[in-house]
Amino acid sequence: MMDNKNLSKILIGIAGRWTLIFLALEIIFFSIFGTNYFSLKNLQNILLASTTVLLLATGETFVIITGGIDLSVGFMVGFSGVICAKVMVTLQAAGASQAVAISSGIIAALLLGLLPGLVNGLLVAKLRVPPFIATFGMLGIAYGFAEIICNNVPIMGLPTSVGSIGHGYLIYWLPGKVFAFLQKPENLTRLELQNLVPIIPNVTVITAIVIGIFAFILARTKFGQHTYAIGGSMDAAERAGINVKRHLIKVYMISSFFASLAGVTYVLRFITGRAPAGSARLLDAVVAVVIGGASLYGGTGTILGTVIGALIIGALETGLVNLGIPTYNLYIAVGCILIFAVLVDQFFPELVRKE
Amino acid sequence: MRVLSDFFSFGISRTKKRKVLSCIGRNWALLFLILMLMLFSILGKHFFGLRNFSNILLAVTTLLLLASGETFVIISGGIDLSIGFIMGFVCVTSAIIMRDLHAAGFPQAISILAGSSIGILLGLIPGFINGVLITKLRVPPFIATLGMWGIANGLAWRLCEGFPIAFLPSKARDIGMAYIAYYSPKKGFSLFDRPVLTERADILNLMKIIPLPVLLIAILLVIFAFILSKRKFGQHTYAIGGKVDAAIRAGVNVPWHLIKVYVISSFFAACAGLLLVFKLNMGIHTQYTSSYELFAIAAVVIGGASLMGGKGSIWGTVIGVLLIGTLNNGLMMMGLPIFYRYIAIGCILIVAVLIDQLFPELVYKE
Repeated sequence: MMDNKNLSKILIGIAGRWTLIFLALEIIFFSIFGTNYFSLKNLQNILLASTTVLLLATGETFVIITGGIDLSVGFMVGFSGVICAKVMVTLQAAGASQAVAISSGIIAALLLGLLPGLVNGLLVAKLRVPPFIATFGMLGIAYGFAEIICNNVPIMGLPTSVGSIGHGYLIYWLPGKVFAFLQKPENLTRLELQNLVPIIPNVTVITAIVIGIFAFILARTKFGQHTYAIGGSMDAAERAGINVKRHLIKVYMISSFFASLAGVTYVLRFITGRAPAGSARLLDAVVAVVIGGASLYGGTGTILGTVIGALIIGALETGLVNLGIPTYNLYIAVGCILIFAVLVDQFFPELVRKE
Repeated sequence: MRVLSDFFSFGISRTKKRKVLSCIGRNWALLFLILMLMLFSILGKHFFGLRNFSNILLAVTTLLLLASGETFVIISGGIDLSIGFIMGFVCVTSAIIMRDLHAAGFPQAISILAGSSIGILLGLIPGFINGVLITKLRVPPFIATLGMWGIANGLAWRLCEGFPIAFLPSKARDIGMAYIAYYSPKKGFSLFDRPVLTERADILNLMKIIPLPVLLIAILLVIFAFILSKRKFGQHTYAIGGKVDAAIRAGVNVPWHLIKVYVISSFFAACAGLLLVFKLNMGIHTQYTSSYELFAIAAVVIGGASLMGGKGSIWGTVIGVLLIGTLNNGLMMMGLPIFYRYIAIGCILIVAVLIDQLFPELVYKE
């Protein structure tokens, strides 16, 4: 017999981690009913497919914890992706080597990608424009400029090595024989190539490292503490001596950095730069953050929660495709999960994930 | 501020000056609209003319409906992100009903009426659910309507399978494309009835005055503008947006009122969906529909509403919508690629809020 206190403790434990349990149930469900869902290859595909949402949602987590919202991240993906692709194509045409073209494309995209975040931050912090409006305005501006840069057609003809980075894996393993890093082992027979097991996509490695760094910053450093403080109560944060305006500008730049990184990974994966590239992913990113336990009123949320939220969406998407269920059901499912996520928080106020 | 007020002092007394300044600040959207109309009339070819102005009005009808519904929600301090896809959902649903009834051999009038009324009724349900989620279950409006966004999108997509729904009764298009009055130099005026002309030159010279959908929407808007500004319902909406606690203490049934507000928003979205059916003679739902709600919110904010709630008006929203519509049309008539309008609207939106911020004493009061 368990007494009441223990029972409620267990209940709280379950409800506090319901997203993780939900993700596990989802994977178990699809593994049973799908074909080859639970395999190394497919699990890696889930990670790859969630790259954009993962990155956008991580940046968005910072903004949402401060009590704001960043609507511009979706189109920022297209903006920086187009810049990245354009620089690569131009440099290649000018005769630069592939390595130079690719690295300067990526650097240019990441640097210029900080600009919209800076403007967002200035508008929100210095001119006190509500975040919804400032970033929504930036959404239009970023999209417009992206279309102008790429002249309304996707940018093609990128350096060939782009694909080998974007489609490459960290480790290649031929069972019992070869073990190679980053590059496919050479001189393999056809049969051996078929049996070659690629482990962990490069793009996922980049994503994981960057998200890991920022998860550390949010959870363990002063910067993270200040972010939570601002979201909890801006006045209190100001009185505690935090330079709120400066901090907010930095937060919006972080969000915009993650969006540009998503744009770069988009170029690496699809070897093209398109203006509307990530637009559909904006709301997925917000959904992932909210499922992960953040409140739109600010002050709560974690990167780990967000990552789980993004993976729930990614696993669902892949699973529905695997079962041959048309994609539109994904939207219905995600909508329901989103409302459910908030209801869990509402009905168990004592379970709200605390920092 | 000081410099600005000195600049505007043409030897006029301080109070008068303030009045003029606040008048400009309050009506900057209208002034901007007029300036833009003049600019485009000078710069653009064929911009100034009855035909193009009719086109602008006809083009903004959808946005006008969505933004008017959104105005109620934003004044109450909430936000409704689902309206774009509710519009798509209703558009597809009523088109399917019309098509199937028409194919089953019912007369056109019956199939159109049945399709329209069932579409509108079904369109109220998402708003009701939004309202219940927000008021009874305390889900933040952003989240509740974002969830509904996904659900309505999925349902609409499922119904139309991603294809337009065609073969509707032909009368639907006749209604959607009708004008209130026609004037032909040969046959004179005729109301609602398009004169039958045979000569090419006559057809080109036919003057079409005020599209029928514009008239219907104008009537609808006047009714709701009246409700918002003159009736108790409107006062309560402002009260809730201003301060929920005060509204509760004043005896307003806040949950029930908010449910009504979200149903109104959903109703307007349903009307917009129906309008699309009549205008295009097709049921259409695409993923691009979701940009509509963002433009609707932009129009409401440009019209002077605050996302914090408590201010805004239908009149302001109409001006905001016309501003966006004129900008779209004007840039198009000047031959600029369509994506410049995204930049322009983004900038205007930010400027709209900045003007509110820089002139705090000019804040729009109801």
